[in-house]
Amino acid sequence: MKRRAVGLSAWIVVVLALFAVRKSTVTVTAQTRGAVQAPNLEVDPFWPKPLPNHWLLGSVTGVAVDAQDNVWIVHQGGSTLNARTEMGAATTPPTAEACCVPAPPVLKFDAAGNLLASFGGAGTGYSWPRLPQGITIDAKNSVWIGGTAAGTVEGPAGPPPEGDQPPRATGARGAAAAALARGRGGAAQGQRDAQVLKFTGDGKFVLQIGMPGKVDGPESSTTLSLPANIEFDAAANEVYVADRGNHRVVVFNADTGAYKRHWGAYGNKPEAADPPPYDPAAPAAKQFRAVSCVRIARDGFVYVCDRESNRVQVFQKDGKFVKEAVISKTTRGDGAVWDIAFSRDAQQRFMYVADGHDKTVLILNRDSLEVVTKFGTGGRQPGQFFGVGNIAVDSKGNVYTGETYEGKRVQKLAYKGLSNVTR
Amino acid sequence: MKRNLCIAATFAVVLLALVLSQSYLERVAQAQSRAAVQAPRFEVDPFWPKALPNNWAIGSSIGVSVDAQDHVWMIHRPDTLLANETAGAGDSPTAACCKPAPPVLEFDPAGNLVNSWGGPGQGYEWPQSNHGITVDYKDNVWIGGNGTTVDNQILKFTKQGKFLMQIGRSRMSQGSNDTANLKGAAKLFIDKTANEVYVADGYGNKRVIVFDADTGAYKRHWGAYGNKPDDTNLGAYNPDSPPAQQFRSPVHCAELSNDRLLYVCDRPNDRIQVFTPEGKFIKEQIIAKRSLGDGSVWDIVFSKDPQQKYLFLADGKNEKIYVILRETLEILTSFGDGGRQPGQFFAVHSIASDSKGNLYTTETYEGKRIQKFVYKGLANVTKVDQGTPWPESK
Repeated sequence: MKRRAVGLSAWIVVVLALFAVRKSTVTVTAQTRGAVQAPNLEVDPFWPKPLPNHWLLGSVTGVAVDAQDNVWIVHQGGSTLNARTEMGAATTPPTAEACCVPAPPVLKFDAAGNLLASFGGAGTGYSWPRLPQGITIDAKNSVWIGGTAAGTVEGPAGPPPEGDQPPRATGARGAAAAALARGRGGAAQGQRDAQVLKFTGDGKFVLQIGMPGKVDGPESSTTLSLPANIEFDAAANEVYVADRGNHRVVVFNADTGAYKRHWGAYGNKPEAADPPPYDPAAPAAKQFRAVSCVRIARDGFVYVCDRESNRVQVFQKDGKFVKEAVISKTTRGDGAVWDIAFSRDAQQRFMYVADGHDKTVLILNRDSLEVVTKFGTGGRQPGQFFGVGNIAVDSKGNVYTGETYEGKRVQKLAYKGLSNVTR
Repeated sequence: MKRNLCIAATFAVVLLALVLSQSYLERVAQAQSRAAVQAPRFEVDPFWPKALPNNWAIGSSIGVSVDAQDHVWMIHRPDTLLANETAGAGDSPTAACCKPAPPVLEFDPAGNLVNSWGGPGQGYEWPQSNHGITVDYKDNVWIGGNGTTVDNQILKFTKQGKFLMQIGRSRMSQGSNDTANLKGAAKLFIDKTANEVYVADGYGNKRVIVFDADTGAYKRHWGAYGNKPDDTNLGAYNPDSPPAQQFRSPVHCAELSNDRLLYVCDRPNDRIQVFTPEGKFIKEQIIAKRSLGDGSVWDIVFSKDPQQKYLFLADGKNEKIYVILRETLEILTSFGDGGRQPGQFFAVHSIASDSKGNLYTTETYEGKRIQKFVYKGLANVTKVDQGTPWPESK
């Protein structure tokens, strides 16, 4: 009897041991699979601090971080705010006692989220864009801004306008939404934004390249069309412009604005005509559809967002094509590749792609251009997105996003180190 | 002489002491009375509710109610979603996100979505533009609609979404004295004591109307000041004109307190009117008088103490919640501001409270969200306008 009991316990021990071994095997497998790592980010719902003066953001169309880790944004203000429902304290007469008033277009926050400064809007000596888009702080702390309002053009017959339009409502609400849209600040009429502007950090005008409504096509060395974003190359003192309406990247001297060079998709000569709408089954377009960003990595490679073609194209600084990757083949509509930012490790191992149509941020291995993971989905809560179109990273690896259309906010995703990717 | 001087000096000292102590006491008393004003304090919970499943997106959110189990119910309008918000819907989606969520959503207290339903079905006329949701004491769910031409009915469902009753018929309204149909019913309140449903009626009519909650039988109705309602077009609200003798559409809420006073939101007139359950006018209070257009008085909920000492008023025009002493209708403080961050609002439309005193709000137009404000007990009022109610550490 006793022996039998011992025998039984021995069996139990063996079985348990087998289970334990099995379990540890499972653990090992999980670790192997988990060897793929990526930056881990968590939304900070309390960044930035509430704005003063009942100021409200319109569609946020640019976000940048300067060398002091201050965060800069540009937004489209009253042109994208509804007079009845968002600007009650700014109308004549006011319809609300307390809220709200459009904030100035350019806002500068410190790392803690305090508003440090604000400027922007019409002034003498320059043409403020009707729909500002893209903001970049260069190595000398100058502020660069583009613009993407569709509108009338003069000169040779240019391509049809393709600037930003307010999103349309579906279903029976179309009429109501159209009525609301009519309440917007009237950006629908006027000349096309075709200029980039340079200001000092405190908002003093320095330089303008291009003139509103003056569009001479993609071979022009003096004019632009819907410049959507700007990148600064400190090594050469050059600015790279994502010249969306001209289907090209164009480079200027950052001090004089003198033309340097330009190129289209694959380094081809850009064409004025828009490629046909993106079709996942069709061969890759030989021209850019909508250049919405240009970003230069530390190793000198130039990354270009071809938004509606869902692809990143990589170039040398002289415009020689290196490689490309389609990020989300099935996305149509506004496209998947809106803006790019690099991780802050020395090698910039990762890059973030803001995908405003899928309402998510993709994390790519920069070397292979493979999608490692992604975060965010559609919605109005913290960490969710609506038209996430701009992205920037500070020196600590924290990520900042700007949301256009009705997103109208800037969000901070705090960097929490690398972690295993679980699928 | 010396003694006289001494007496005089003593007198002077005593007098001085008296004067000083008097002014000191006055200052203390003033400070105490100022500090004595207390009001419920709230902090936004940025992580409530949990993210919705299925890539669901929420449209303009025009109703919220809390049931006896502290589940939070909301209603929204899927057809207000913009094209790029529904890019993941249909036979040929252009993006991974998103699809419209069903109109009625039920969350548990932790913010998990536990049920969803709503939309057209057999045996009833779902509103063209649903508006307002109320879960009653028998766990039934009531829904109105503010399409003024079409939505002349209110609906009653079980919690599971099974149709129970419809009062009124679509497109049948004969105006503010029609006892069979409604016109753009904004919100409903169910009185347990008399088993009656009070309808804030609404976007087309200018009245409160009461029905039996089981049979739907008409009971009574009235207009502003208890007047017989009149559909004459009053034109736009003018804060410098004498008070309108009729409600200005929309009549946006009608909430009965425990001591049986009915608080009515006369939204574009920027006023609360208070009545007996029979419709006898008692008093009124103007709120943010210079608010034009959409008006300032959108929705009301009472505090959860048995006396319902406070009421909370959602003002979707000025983007804030007023904390009001119910007895005097005096504004003690307010919180909120315009914006897309947690604790800020875009057209805060509806408000409800759970049993713990936490508040829930929904936002219409492009607000398109539900938010939770955690009750933090009573606190001294230090600001009339608190701004965005973030945790004190932030």
